[in-house]
Amino acid sequence: MDSRARTLGGWAITAVLAAVVLVGLVIGDSAGEDRVNALGARIKCPVCQGEAIGDSPSETARAMMDIVAEKVSAGETDAQIVDYFTARYGTGILLDPPFSGSTLLVWLLPVAAVVGGMWMILSRKRQPTRTGPAHD
Amino acid sequence: MTATVGYLAILGAAFASAALIVQGFRGMRNPERARAEKLQWPVYGIVGGAILAMIALEVGILTDDFSIAYIANNSATTTPFIFKVASAWAALEGSIVLWGLVLAGFVFTVYRGFAKRTEPDHLGAGALAVMGIVTLYFFVLMATVSNPFTVCVQPASIGCIEATHWPWADSLAALEGRGPNPLLQNHILMAVHPPMLYVGYVGMTVPFAFAMAALLLGASGTEWLLRTRTWTLIAWGFLTAGIVLGGLWSYEVLGWGGYWAWDPVENASFMPWLIATAFLHSAVVQARRGMLQAWNFVLVIATFAMTILGTFLTRSGVITSVHSFTQSPIGPALLWFLMVVLVASFGLFAARAHVVASSPRLDSLASREGVFLLNNLLLTVFAFVVLTGTLYPMFVDAFSGSQVGVGRPFFDRLAVPLSFGLLLAMGIGPITPYRSAKPEVVWQRVKNPLRVGLGAAALAVALGYRTPWLVVFILASFFVISVIVRNLFVTSRTVAEKREMSLPSAVLRTMRNDAGYWGGQMSHLGVAILALGIAISANLTVEADITLTPGSTESVAGFDLTYVTPVSRQEPTRFVTGALVEVTRNGRVVSELEPRLNQYPTSTQSVATPEVDASWSGDLYLSLKSIDPQQVTLGVFWFPFIWLVWVGGFLAAAAVLWSRLVKKPSDDRQTEARASRDG
Repeated sequence: MDSRARTLGGWAITAVLAAVVLVGLVIGDSAGEDRVNALGARIKCPVCQGEAIGDSPSETARAMMDIVAEKVSAGETDAQIVDYFTARYGTGILLDPPFSGSTLLVWLLPVAAVVGGMWMILSRKRQPTRTGPAHD
Repeated sequence: MTATVGYLAILGAAFASAALIVQGFRGMRNPERARAEKLQWPVYGIVGGAILAMIALEVGILTDDFSIAYIANNSATTTPFIFKVASAWAALEGSIVLWGLVLAGFVFTVYRGFAKRTEPDHLGAGALAVMGIVTLYFFVLMATVSNPFTVCVQPASIGCIEATHWPWADSLAALEGRGPNPLLQNHILMAVHPPMLYVGYVGMTVPFAFAMAALLLGASGTEWLLRTRTWTLIAWGFLTAGIVLGGLWSYEVLGWGGYWAWDPVENASFMPWLIATAFLHSAVVQARRGMLQAWNFVLVIATFAMTILGTFLTRSGVITSVHSFTQSPIGPALLWFLMVVLVASFGLFAARAHVVASSPRLDSLASREGVFLLNNLLLTVFAFVVLTGTLYPMFVDAFSGSQVGVGRPFFDRLAVPLSFGLLLAMGIGPITPYRSAKPEVVWQRVKNPLRVGLGAAALAVALGYRTPWLVVFILASFFVISVIVRNLFVTSRTVAEKREMSLPSAVLRTMRNDAGYWGGQMSHLGVAILALGIAISANLTVEADITLTPGSTESVAGFDLTYVTPVSRQEPTRFVTGALVEVTRNGRVVSELEPRLNQYPTSTQSVATPEVDASWSGDLYLSLKSIDPQQVTLGVFWFPFIWLVWVGGFLAAAAVLWSRLVKKPSDDRQTEARASRDG
């Protein structure tokens, strides 16, 4: 086989594999999302030390998980269920800080850090005047 | 008596630290006058005092000397030997004694390097003086707000209620000690995890001290970096191993079915790790290309500050977690120390900015240096995210009094893309040439690994695993692993042809020839395996709570679990209640597991001991949630390929040994090493 055919073959394999991965991701998960556990990870157990209700073995946490499960099977949306708990325990019950109000900043600071860091790196780059040999 | 000896040892070490500061700074100014002999006795004083204090504490614990309040409150006559030994560092005051001992050990190794030199060593003397400052601080802590040798003046029937600092006071011993926290005497890892972490934390003092000495001397070159490389790497290895051990402890003991929860104290150990990792990489850039001089000072100061911050978070009681000790005046003392460290070191850095601000600039972003910068950006942003998320609730509470929660979902959401970026940089960086990389050279080196990664991802998709992040991490991990393997294979093949040797011996020769580079690659391999393990366990873990009556069976993740019988027995130190569960798969008995709850006499709270059936395909993990005569409630977890997490983590840590201990083949030249690095 000449080298050109080999290159082409290599590209074809790469393309086919990439296509399989992409199609698979587009089709998505066969199983439905586990909404109860996903919600259980977002709500803090009010009587524990910083644990989520999904992780804590305490009575309170398990009772709250039961409420979550009930509400999910009753067809309530995630937002409705979260609202139910924040209405009772305040927004401090959420382990997933909302993108608003007093927790907006906790999301914005990392973004600012990335932008600042990028700016620093780009400002370190030499102007495109070659001074040294290009390879080492 | 024991308390007196211990307390005097602490005072002696504090005095010797002060002497080391004076003699060290003298030696830094005028090395001719302050030779090794002058620094010898302060160093020996610190080491001797630290060892003696630890021995006194251990002797007190092993002889059940409950006239010492710390021992009365953290040990008991019934505590098993190994946990007695470990209880010397299982609570606040004792943990500072261990800290002091480890610090003294590092002072000693630095001194040995200093004493061996024949030429005047300004830098080494200055570094010893800076280490003396840190040592002095910790021994003064032990002598004041964190005194492990306070003697009991008002004992209770169990434990001690009130104690005094005055070691000669008329002490009244408690009849029995309280014993260690049940969580801590439940597993042997408790004896190992904290010392590991401490070596990691404390070891970072060495590069910090050398950096400060370099700034004081106005010597901005690479000497401080090169001389501290071994310590930095060893400390990093121990920190890594300590964090992984902590995860393993959490998995084996806590019974909630995980190894990492973004608990504030886990974060406190992870932040210095992230910054130290950034530092290891940017140090390579400075050593090779003279760049990032100022940045390395910033990173080494930040690493050291993070270790103090971590200690503060753990010891001050400002946060609640399984790790936090009780409220104590040590909190403000640590916070002040942190402030002083930050102000003094960044102040010194600013004052010397003119000597460090002259490093060469970047030729091209498409180069090894460019990827190193990306790695540093991602790691520092990662550390910043963890820092923000950990401290944010505290700040909001302090300023507005309102409670906000920042927990696992926040960290996961940001950590996952950052880790992915790091994996990619890890794949591409080590095979990208310095200065300016030609795209076709890089492509030649990554195209086949990319196909391997795509192949693995395609296989996962075909098998039905289609969670986007899982697929993407499988792709990235296999990509990184194959880049490393390909690089090793191609380099070794050249060596084998040139030297007419077999491929396996050529592989070994290549890896010994440039042990620093290949040690790093082994560490990368570990991290890629770890990332794969985390991605799999985070996405494919099956979790269920089941309630069983004796004789009944339920199925979880393809296993049939039959509750055979409740068990209970009295062990020397605890009362154990458990459930015997038979596990079958397709009708064949796989194992019999006995998840337990342990009741310690000194505590009202019972501690779970989950039981795990480990195999290559994964761990079946049973945790007892509640049990009564009628029924048992079990937390059942199936963790596929969870061993990848432990193997990857420990490989990443142990690879440090390769890079520091392995010697070059004696008859060799550097040519092949160069070839493997730069191609």
